[in-house]
Amino acid sequence: MILNKLSKQGKGELAFASSFFLLGVFVAWDTSKMDIPQDNSIVSPQTFPYMVAGFAALVGLGLIIDVLRGNHGTPDGDEPGDPYTPLNFKTMGVVAAAIGMHVILLEIAGYVVAASVCFWGVAYAFGSRRILKDLLISLVFAFVVYFSFSQGLNINLPSGFFEGIFK
Amino acid sequence: MGNNFAMLMDGFQTVFTPTNLMFGLLGTFLGTLVGVLPGIGPALAIGLLLPITLTVNPTSALIMFAAIFYGAMYGGSTTSILLNTPGESGSVITALEGNKMAKAGRAGAALATAAIGSFVAGLIATILLAFGAPVLAEFALTIQPAGYLSLIILAFATVGTLLGTSRIRGLIALAMGLVIGLIGADLQSGALRLTFGNLNAIDGIETVTVIVAIFALGETLYLASRHTIVQASVMQITGKAWMTREDFKRSWKPWLRGTAIGFPLGVIPAGGSEVPTFLSYGVEKALSKNKDEFGKGAIEGVAGPEAANNANAAGVLVPMLALGLPTSATAAVVLVAFQSFNIQPGPMLFQTNPEIVWGLIASLFVGNFLLLVLNLPLIRFWVLLLKIPSHYLYAGITTFALLGAYALNNSTFDLQVALVVGVIGFLFRRFGVPITPLIIGAILGPLSELYFKRALQISQGDWGILVAGTFPKVIYGVLILVIIGPVVWKFKKSFAVKK
Repeated sequence: MILNKLSKQGKGELAFASSFFLLGVFVAWDTSKMDIPQDNSIVSPQTFPYMVAGFAALVGLGLIIDVLRGNHGTPDGDEPGDPYTPLNFKTMGVVAAAIGMHVILLEIAGYVVAASVCFWGVAYAFGSRRILKDLLISLVFAFVVYFSFSQGLNINLPSGFFEGIFK
Repeated sequence: MGNNFAMLMDGFQTVFTPTNLMFGLLGTFLGTLVGVLPGIGPALAIGLLLPITLTVNPTSALIMFAAIFYGAMYGGSTTSILLNTPGESGSVITALEGNKMAKAGRAGAALATAAIGSFVAGLIATILLAFGAPVLAEFALTIQPAGYLSLIILAFATVGTLLGTSRIRGLIALAMGLVIGLIGADLQSGALRLTFGNLNAIDGIETVTVIVAIFALGETLYLASRHTIVQASVMQITGKAWMTREDFKRSWKPWLRGTAIGFPLGVIPAGGSEVPTFLSYGVEKALSKNKDEFGKGAIEGVAGPEAANNANAAGVLVPMLALGLPTSATAAVVLVAFQSFNIQPGPMLFQTNPEIVWGLIASLFVGNFLLLVLNLPLIRFWVLLLKIPSHYLYAGITTFALLGAYALNNSTFDLQVALVVGVIGFLFRRFGVPITPLIIGAILGPLSELYFKRALQISQGDWGILVAGTFPKVIYGVLILVIIGPVVWKFKKSFAVKK
């Protein structure tokens, strides 16, 4: 009944709050399953995690109550944008996918490819539709970063296709 | 005292080598850059540059980080005034009056009072830091593990409950940070926690990955979901960025008062720069002879909070250097930077690594001066940066953040962690949960466990040691005041209203 009174945002927030309570329960469960090498210390390695688990469950419960009482979190004052417009999960999904592609491609295809794909994807999600121009900028950006880090700072990045071409 | 002065002079000698000066200059430049650009703050900027600790010597790198630290604050005030988009929480108040001044054609005066006020506050606060931190460090040598634990708990409470608009949400962030800090092998017994059989997780989660991901990726995901990105319209600066004699007369007292408010609130962990800047604004409004100007562009409302912001940032360095306890996200990254050189800030730092710590303090002076010289003349250049299209800006920030997360260990595991933490950062922004307590929890959580265990080892398992002695009692007393104080105050206020 109470749930029906909550708006869509309120339900999302309730799920968010509940996840912290569950996180606490989960940490406690993980701690109880912990393998303890040799127990010769005065304080068991389980003591502190149990305290953290209790704390997380407690504040999670506190947040659930807070949300049920109708106190919703508002985005900080320094966050740009109108806090009351509904979220656009499509654009957010594109950004998440761009980051995911970077993670997957990095060791398969090398830094330049992974970074270009990521850069291009985020620019697309943020509304840029000049596909070719963006592709060019992405590549230039990735190349410049790759060279300044691998040559200038001696930080190794996966070279991928370019293996052997540049040393 | 005299000895410290000699050490500080040695520090200046360290800074005034061509290489270190160059790194300082680069730092001021990069710092202002990230301060001006929306979406990147000083904590993220230093986090992204941490991979250079692999190749650059400690002194030069820390000098550069110190310069970024101050530079970002100068840059942040510029965007507050010209765009009404504060780049960081400490500049929110500045935007109130500063942007109104800019709209009234007084952008130059607002920028000047912010820059000079920041300089004055930074100078005084750095002097206090140079002579205060060693004293505190000496005292800290006498603090027992139980005392340290009480200090950390106090820091948790203040950072968790004073930031943001809702106490429970601050504590939620703290809990999340503590859980992240648990991941990996227990330092003493080697028992594995929350690793799920993943070998990469045994060493724990890299703090830098958490910081970079929660700021950069969280912010980008959040902005993408809002999809209300509008290219900011930049105010024109008419005339020179300078102040009239009248402006000076109205500014110098707020500068000094702002410093007096900001520095102590940085030293005692009062939870970030919102409280001091807000307090300073309130004080200036109450003391001003031109009260009717407030809300329409009063110069005092820019001068005070800007000084408070800078002094506060320097104040935060005192417990970071002398106790090893960071109380802001930026201080936390500087701490990680120290740790990546295997240097542990804390009471021993002034004895074990005097050249580095005094070099750092001296570079704060130099950086502050460079910023004053560079910032005002270059303001038109900084404004140009604001014209970078936001889709390229955020694409660049995201790509750089992933690079920073990867380059530290060359591991894709860190990137996977970054993605998960980025989503947490998004959810936090979505539901109004502050970010800083998470970072403080992740860094200080393991440290608090360490002190907790040490204390109980000393007492052979007697928990009474945690509150034994004067020092922990005093700290827990303060803690109770911090938690109960606001409640009593609120109650009294509502009581007074009813009457």
